[in-house]
Amino acid sequence: MTCEDTQRELTSYLDGELDVDRGRAVRGHLRGCAPCRTAAHSESILRDGLRSLPTLDPPAPLWSGVRRRLAEAEVADARRPRWRRVVAGWGRPVRGLGLALGGVAIAMGIAVWHAMERQMERQQGQPTVAVLSSVPVVDRSPCSSGEPHDVALALASEPTCVTEAYAAAAADLMRTAHGQRAQWDNDRRARFDAQLDKVRRDVEVAPEGRPRQSAYRAMIRFLQRVTTRDGMLADARGVR
Amino acid sequence: MIGDSRGRTVAVVVGCSAVLGAAANADPRPAVEERSRLEVQPSDASFRQVTLDNPLGDVRVEGYDGTAIVVETYKRAPDGGTIDRLRVSLIPSADGRLRIATGVVDGRDFRPVTRSQVRVDLVIRAPRNARIEASTAGGRLQVENMDAGGELDSSSGAIAITNVSGQLITHSVSGPTSLTQVFGSVDAATLWSDLVLDTIGGPKLVASATMGKIDGRRVRSQEIELTTTGGAIVVEAETSVRGHLVVSTLQGNIDVRVRRRGPVLVRARAAKVNLGPRVSEVQRQAGWSTAIVGSRSDPAAVVELQSRYGVVQFAIVE
Repeated sequence: MTCEDTQRELTSYLDGELDVDRGRAVRGHLRGCAPCRTAAHSESILRDGLRSLPTLDPPAPLWSGVRRRLAEAEVADARRPRWRRVVAGWGRPVRGLGLALGGVAIAMGIAVWHAMERQMERQQGQPTVAVLSSVPVVDRSPCSSGEPHDVALALASEPTCVTEAYAAAAADLMRTAHGQRAQWDNDRRARFDAQLDKVRRDVEVAPEGRPRQSAYRAMIRFLQRVTTRDGMLADARGVR
Repeated sequence: MIGDSRGRTVAVVVGCSAVLGAAANADPRPAVEERSRLEVQPSDASFRQVTLDNPLGDVRVEGYDGTAIVVETYKRAPDGGTIDRLRVSLIPSADGRLRIATGVVDGRDFRPVTRSQVRVDLVIRAPRNARIEASTAGGRLQVENMDAGGELDSSSGAIAITNVSGQLITHSVSGPTSLTQVFGSVDAATLWSDLVLDTIGGPKLVASATMGKIDGRRVRSQEIELTTTGGAIVVEAETSVRGHLVVSTLQGNIDVRVRRRGPVLVRARAAKVNLGPRVSEVQRQAGWSTAIVGSRSDPAAVVELQSRYGVVQFAIVE
């Protein structure tokens, strides 16, 4: 998938007219190509605007992990030649059968292992003690997937993943703010809406990566102030 | 790349370099280690800013009274081929800035390794008056003994700042952040981790966490603003004349102890408010409990406390 291919199919992609395979390839290319991404972003703003944040119902870390894994798969797809994607498509039913057979084999293996273990316990006259020598460390990183992939790919997906974490936190606060908004008077609603429009625009125009993360942090700070302060002398702009 | 320098303003002196190899075995920990040390001397003006981007490990910056920047690099990887993929770039500029960045060479010819199998740690000694801009991903970010502030960012790595003055900005998604002996304007933010503040002074302190708690001790900034969404806020602060202390949270509890210098106007609103035994003549109006401690004729410091669903506890400590 080249930049030329992507530009040619961008309109169809934004219209949702591409098939799944082609759509994934375009999306994967966009993830790794800043100029094409900028072009896509501009076009999408022209079409329907990016005026609202995505509503994310699952917990933020879970959603980030899912989206990152999808992104990685798409980047990998974009790097593969077309004939390999087609062959991979043919191979999916076969792979499914293979996975099913593999699952049966693993289940049988576990059953046999359990039977052998119980037999050994009976022979030794004492229960087997399970030793948890390596308790897994809880990785609180928003970008930990637990899936083995090359470090270069992990580093490439890190900025997007961090941005998604900030976006998810902002979306959570946005829901809280909208819940409170119904109880405000018209003047306060108008001030909130105007300020929210500003911080949203800042997010939309900020380039991907640290600038966008910074814009999200400003949005989070604003929403935190709005949702935690009611009738304070210090207003949503801060202490002074 | 180490020693990859641009510009004529900087001379790079290679101190020493050692490669320590170990036989690869079944142990999943990195088996090859490479250490190097560089000393970067300014030729014209002194260094005024150091920018560090290390998504592969820890960063530790120590201020000292010299003029050179000393960069110690510790690389670890499963094998020699992979360690060669790990790069550290030094990019000096003519206006006194130095950028140090780590990265991985990408390509299909390399053996794939996961992120946990490789590591690059950086230890930097920098002139005290250089501003520090540093970022890590999961690595720890430590800055000590600097005088020109900076901006520090981590994804999930802990941020630990000690004995720093100047304007300081820190942000982290899920790395616990601790600021100790920081003097200057401070802006610290985390999403899902705790924030510890100890001995903070200066014109302004703004700190926030969404799902983390804020714990402050010996906070003496003129303007203090602490905010959480879901975490508790515990702070022991000293109010200054005409100062402002704003503590607000959505769901957490608030526990504020104030050492006052001059009169204090306290306003609090929460599911339950306790202003302590030293505060009398509390007026209650529209959900707010308000009281003035000390002389009403002098300008007062303002303390505002609000928890929508939690408890507010306040006390004057003489």
